[in-house]
Amino acid sequence: MRRIAAVVLALVIVTALEFWAPPPAVRGQAVDVYINVTGGDRSRKLNIAVPEFTVVAGTDTALAKLLASVVGNDLTLSGLFSVVAASGAIPANNPAALEQTWSAFAAAGAHAGVHGLLGIRGERLEAEMRLYDLTTPEYRLIASRKFEVAAPQSRRLAHKIADEIVLQFTGELGVADTKLAYLAGLPGAKEIVVADYDGAAPTAVTRNGSINLSPVWSPDARSIAFTSFMNGYPDLFRLFPFERQRPVQTLASFVGINSSPGWSPDGRFLALTLSKDGNPEIYVLTVATGVLQRLTRHAGIDTEPAWAPTGQQIAFVSDRAGQPRIFVMDRDGANVRQITTGGFHTQPRWSPKGDSIVYTQRAGTHDLWAISPSGSTPHQLTSGQGDNQGASWAPDGRHLAFQSNRNGRWQVFVMSVDGLTTTRVTQGTTEATSPSWSPRLP
Amino acid sequence: MVTRAGHAAVMSLLLVGLIISGCAKQPATTAATAGPAPAPAPRAAAPGPAPSAAAPAGSGAAGSAAAAPASTARPSLKEFTAVAALKDVFFEFDKYDIRAEDAKTLDANATWLKANAENLVLIEGHCDERGTNEYNLALGERRAKAAMNYLVSQGVQANRITIISYGEERPVCNEKNESCWGKNRRAHFLVKPR
Repeated sequence: MRRIAAVVLALVIVTALEFWAPPPAVRGQAVDVYINVTGGDRSRKLNIAVPEFTVVAGTDTALAKLLASVVGNDLTLSGLFSVVAASGAIPANNPAALEQTWSAFAAAGAHAGVHGLLGIRGERLEAEMRLYDLTTPEYRLIASRKFEVAAPQSRRLAHKIADEIVLQFTGELGVADTKLAYLAGLPGAKEIVVADYDGAAPTAVTRNGSINLSPVWSPDARSIAFTSFMNGYPDLFRLFPFERQRPVQTLASFVGINSSPGWSPDGRFLALTLSKDGNPEIYVLTVATGVLQRLTRHAGIDTEPAWAPTGQQIAFVSDRAGQPRIFVMDRDGANVRQITTGGFHTQPRWSPKGDSIVYTQRAGTHDLWAISPSGSTPHQLTSGQGDNQGASWAPDGRHLAFQSNRNGRWQVFVMSVDGLTTTRVTQGTTEATSPSWSPRLP
Repeated sequence: MVTRAGHAAVMSLLLVGLIISGCAKQPATTAATAGPAPAPAPRAAAPGPAPSAAAPAGSGAAGSAAAAPASTARPSLKEFTAVAALKDVFFEFDKYDIRAEDAKTLDANATWLKANAENLVLIEGHCDERGTNEYNLALGERRAKAAMNYLVSQGVQANRITIISYGEERPVCNEKNESCWGKNRRAHFLVKPR
């Protein structure tokens, strides 16, 4: 408690300086890390108060309530905060009432407070986030920032505010303003759905009545590569979920399987699995030209390419050692090395920071494991709760989405990599599988 | 009698072993390259600024326009039907080699196919739900391919055969036990007139 107060105090000094400097500097210079997100005692959380937003233009108090609750949920899912909520909005332009509110929250143990000011202007929504340090006697303003979205995207306002708060306390933007793509449906009939990262507002983006598999967001968060049997054979396609009129594009429709799309970090290339030359091998497709480069040459199965964030290496699955294992090769297919041993390992996913590869181990049940790209220190991320597989990294490298049947049917969950927070995010009546966590939205 | 049967079993095992190891060690391209000169470079991506080639594929109207190059290699799946004479073959978990008892099934399938040469053959490769989707799609492909290679080794023309993998996406049995999983790990045969 004392230490957190001291930390917040240090934060106030640094960010207050930053904040009152020219506004554009705030994001670029959020330098020091105030919450240590990669080590130390991460079970200790910062208590943050998120009262209802104050409506400063318009009349939608339900929206003001919703936004506060979404911000609170985002901060909880971040794994960094313990949220103190309260009902009743703070009146607009009333410093005394504001101080009274913070005083009550501070007495209840809150270290920080978020005041949201919501303006509803026709088709536009804007919100100002003001972040206060409740450990100082004067409830010092730490930061403030305005966001604007189109009315139908109201939840994004809350997500952007939550991400800004995470930025203020950690030095890195949060991941609330992102989407999940996943499969909804049973074997034989799976459609791709896009939802907010917290599972809200699920929307089907394929409706072809066929089998759709392996959705993967492109690095610009504008398109999703996927495998589909919509034309009979398993081909690779790309859809544009935010451009309704834009047709699905065929990426590969060779004889055999066209599967397992893996985007290069710059989005110019797609690694994929084709069996056109006899058996499943990994190729790299130059997306703009259709030029193919073959990377693997082996009689066994080679599949599931996953790029390192540097773009210099690709992890993949091969059964060349008997059971499927995780291998790493250079971008051109050279220098193949095996990094996992002694198990049945699939679904490698290279972390956005580059320091870890998460994969699925089958040992009776399926569980998520992580290993360093050099093959050292494998460690288990899930255990004892049904099957857990199909991981996808959040852009912050601190969270994973995955599918689990721990409650019966397959659903998508989000966990912090440290294992402290795991939350089910899909509530569908059907099965939800194969999540892909989008990059931060543009 | 017993001894002779034993010998016969051993012989056929050896024979199958030879065939299988032959298949496994080669880069499995034999049948493919011997097959119908696969259509010239099937359509790869053409995402750029809307080259016309992208249109038919993208609009889903690939059927008629794109059928010409693709049809030899990828016949329409629509009219393929199962026939009682062609039996499924099954696989061990995470394996794609043909077991001795299944070799006999494939021998019978080959005999029927040679006697009914007017038919094209579609071999579907399937997996059980264990393992994960993308890997199973590759595994199903290998199973279909192993069945195809065996049929070709028995004299069925490679250019009559098309393979497709459904991975774990089309189970015939939905319980979570070995009896059910074993039924799902299969190669399934369908035919249609040329």
